[in-house]
Amino acid sequence: LNDSLPLDRQNVRGRSDADRFDDSALVRAARAGDRAAFGQLYDRYGRMVQGILLARVPLGEVDDLVQDVFLRALPRLHTLRELDRFGGWLATIARNCACDYHRNSVPEVELNADLAEKADRQLVAGRAPDPEAASILAVIRSLPEAYCETLLLRLVEGMTGPEIAARTGLTPGSVRVNLHRGMQLLRGKLVLTGSVTHENATTPDSLGKPNTLGEK
Amino acid sequence: MSDDYLWDGSGKPDPEVEKLESVLGRLRLERPAPVFPAAEAMGAHSTRFSVRWLRPGMVAAFAVVLIAAGLGLLWRWQTDVASGWDVTSVTGVPRVGKQSVGSEGGRLGLGQALETDGNSSAEIRIEEIGKIQVDPDTRLRVLSSPSGGSRLALERGTIHARIWALPGIFVVDTPSARAVDLGCAYTLHVDDSGDGLIRTTMGWVGFKLGDREAFIPAGAACVTRAKNGPRTPYFEDAPEGLRTALTKMDLPTSTEDERNTALRTLLAESRPRDALTLWHLLSRVEEPKRGAVFDRLASLVPPPTGVTREGILRLDRGMLDRWWDALDLGNIWLWRHWERSWSEHEQGQK
Repeated sequence: LNDSLPLDRQNVRGRSDADRFDDSALVRAARAGDRAAFGQLYDRYGRMVQGILLARVPLGEVDDLVQDVFLRALPRLHTLRELDRFGGWLATIARNCACDYHRNSVPEVELNADLAEKADRQLVAGRAPDPEAASILAVIRSLPEAYCETLLLRLVEGMTGPEIAARTGLTPGSVRVNLHRGMQLLRGKLVLTGSVTHENATTPDSLGKPNTLGEK
Repeated sequence: MSDDYLWDGSGKPDPEVEKLESVLGRLRLERPAPVFPAAEAMGAHSTRFSVRWLRPGMVAAFAVVLIAAGLGLLWRWQTDVASGWDVTSVTGVPRVGKQSVGSEGGRLGLGQALETDGNSSAEIRIEEIGKIQVDPDTRLRVLSSPSGGSRLALERGTIHARIWALPGIFVVDTPSARAVDLGCAYTLHVDDSGDGLIRTTMGWVGFKLGDREAFIPAGAACVTRAKNGPRTPYFEDAPEGLRTALTKMDLPTSTEDERNTALRTLLAESRPRDALTLWHLLSRVEEPKRGAVFDRLASLVPPPTGVTREGILRLDRGMLDRWWDALDLGNIWLWRHWERSWSEHEQGQK
């Protein structure tokens, strides 16, 4: 498989990011019943699924839901028509799984942001005493969904921008914009909460300010 | 400061990004891949079949299983046709055909219509698909059974759909457009004239009549006109001036001057978020006006690499699709995938 090549050799051969992250052969093998191949897909896409879920469900639920997503995907692999779209397809299943989680677990009561943050703090504390991570996670979750998801994939999962684009099916341009604007917003919010001070910090209002006609 | 480090870890490290990576990286789960069941056991098609299984006893057993499975499928098909979807009354007494639906619930069969009057409302639930709340004064007909594609026709009234099936599975026809669920939840209304309104609350929905398409993400709405299809979607928090201008542009009674004025207002008032509206306008305005829409949209959301002004002005679908993806409102591939599957499905039925 191409991904088994060292990264520097792949670049020397001039392959695009999309080619480097093409897992069609693995998907084909998994679809034919190869469990090891599906395990490899889990290794490659598990972080993406976790990041997507982390943006939407309590931290303590993420671990199990990651596996649920893959268990949902496995019997449906034969419905995937374009094998190179596996990442985008899996990302949709993960988002739907998060929807289902909320539908099934809190049908009547909306979990407000304060409660969610408190719950996350407790859950993080249960795994490893880390209130700092819980606080920052809560701030990221308050950002618009597209920024939140992309930032979590970058900052929690350690994925690079090109990798996020290739894995999720988003365009590199939009991932870069999400990272840039999301980080600006995050800096602004962290300054407000006293977590950091930064000259590049901005506020949601200044980002959303409309341009005038013809302005580039 | 350059964002190269944020982008791909190259360039001069950004100390704040490094700190965030360090703190948040502790949340990363490192659980190894579990042992998954074999795909065959989960229902995928296996190509591994050996003649050693073809012993006489096995053949007989296999035949019995096949016959049982065939009978089961036949029974399921008959059950689908006969009993269909589960319906429960929420208020009042909804009707399925001439039958009243009481508190104990009822079934909505293929071809049948669920009708609520001014005092009744109902709920339809399909375990694998989702839940549909049916408001008063609504008429909803089943066009295919739950096992056959989940297609309904909303003839009038209002439904609230919350769908957890995969995108593209749940489809609602209206007199003015076909609504295709591409995400989670939406409200669809059709008035007596056949005009409609869709409001998406989660995920996104595709709206289509002929070649005219509209994509409505969460927080957005779109009007449809009977026999003319979807108009231009807009975010419900869009500036009042933009929404008024959009209505003016869509009105068949507006003069050319009024439309031009409305377009100038709309372009001037649009925010980055209103790229949704501008992207749709590209294929809705006449060619001479398309350049102004392109310029405004490009100033708000730069076109991705390879998407050119010339290509957009001639409505190159590939370029339009790539620009849509750059808006991050939904992956266009899901829609194209559904379109292709649906087209094949409809051709197969002819």
